[in-house]
Amino acid sequence: MAKVTPGGRLQQNKLLRSMCRARSRGVPLQYIIGDQPFGDLQILCRRNVLIPRAETESFTVHASKLILKRLDEHPEVTNPQPLRILDLCSGTGAIALLLHALLANKIKQMTILGIDISSTAVTLASKNLEHNLHHGFLLDRARTEVHFRQGNVLSNHDSNFPHVDKVLHEFPGFCNQSGLGCDVLISNPPYIAPNSFWDGTTGRSVRIYEPKLALVPSLETDANMEEHIRQEDVFYHDIFQSAMRLGAKLIVFECGSYAQACRVVGICEDIAGACARREELAFHIVSSSGLEPGTHISGSGPCAIIIERSMASEA
Amino acid sequence: MLRPLSLPPILSSYAKTALPLRHFTLTSFVSSKQLPPRLKINDADLTVSYLKGSGPGGQKINKTNSAVQLIHKPTGLVVKSQATRSRSQNEKIARELLADRIEELQKGDQSRVAIKADRARKQKASASKKTRRKYRELEQNREQEAESGKAEDKHHSTEHKEQQPEQVQ
Repeated sequence: MAKVTPGGRLQQNKLLRSMCRARSRGVPLQYIIGDQPFGDLQILCRRNVLIPRAETESFTVHASKLILKRLDEHPEVTNPQPLRILDLCSGTGAIALLLHALLANKIKQMTILGIDISSTAVTLASKNLEHNLHHGFLLDRARTEVHFRQGNVLSNHDSNFPHVDKVLHEFPGFCNQSGLGCDVLISNPPYIAPNSFWDGTTGRSVRIYEPKLALVPSLETDANMEEHIRQEDVFYHDIFQSAMRLGAKLIVFECGSYAQACRVVGICEDIAGACARREELAFHIVSSSGLEPGTHISGSGPCAIIIERSMASEA
Repeated sequence: MLRPLSLPPILSSYAKTALPLRHFTLTSFVSSKQLPPRLKINDADLTVSYLKGSGPGGQKINKTNSAVQLIHKPTGLVVKSQATRSRSQNEKIARELLADRIEELQKGDQSRVAIKADRARKQKASASKKTRRKYRELEQNREQEAESGKAEDKHHSTEHKEQQPEQVQ
């Protein structure tokens, strides 16, 4: 370790004091020290981008196991072409990057695309890709296999940002002769209801310092207006429609509570029913406090919805 | 958050090995007698749970709830780790701890932990034997010098000799 000069020590103390002061004001630890471990990765965290949560880490690991299980059971399904994974509302890029880290040893070729509406998030996600490559937490392949783009996940025709479909047209992996497609769709969209943002269930530190854009869905969407879908559920509605359009074989959603998960499953079943594809899909809800099947699902903790397309329908 | 975080030495040493930050080591230290490999735990025998307070989580809360608890169903052993800020690293640490515990239970003296402890004890014993030998030799040298050099001061030097071992220890 380098010798600390008296001046350097003074500087250090000053820095430490300012960090402690920031923490005492409630600034999230990850914004102060600048990163958060996520699996074996180190994810940089900056203001205006949501800090990845431990629950999301568990769900991502779980998703990677499901992907590998599917490939084991049916090696012929995706082998000829690279596995295509779409991460919507990617934020720091934590999910996309961790999936690459977990799958790269087992899968020869992949394309992982993270899409977020915030340009700050997209920039940070690309930085995280570089950062983890630099530290050797990701294989070099990740440089060409993981991408982040700015885009709109909702179908509210906001012309400021290109819609997911338009972004996908750029990527030959997701776009072939038969149209757009992807194998796995994973998303941790904003899922907090406007009233529970203010009623005390949302942490003060989260409310003040983390971006509201990534926490509470905005008001003006078609689904919200026409189909009487609760504001906190609109992302799932629009993302599931995209998933159906893209023919995703595995869909993983994180949502805020078991009650929300049940509501979202209902919404998704309606959409699938409308395209006469309800029978192809199997829905499961898993809780973050124990991903073993059969564990009791607690009411208030976040849950993940796993939607799998049966193998028979793919043939 | 504000309470000082002190880890038991065994945990902190695990934490260091588990951190991904140290991605290179200069020494590839392989002892002549390698430790037996760690016991593999069957995933089906494990209950993994992530401990946190009750109430909402996820996007609503940003607490470091990275503690992991493992229950080994056949033996009923429970192991918990919150050594690092990362859930998956804590799980790795907890798995290692649990594997060691189970092995200790099954094999007793022949377990990895027991062998490791035994080796450390032997090493310590030989080290202290070496220091004792070293000081004994020093002592003998001084005695000889005293005898040959100052024969008249004999009484004083023996007194000095008696005090010496206490100072060394």
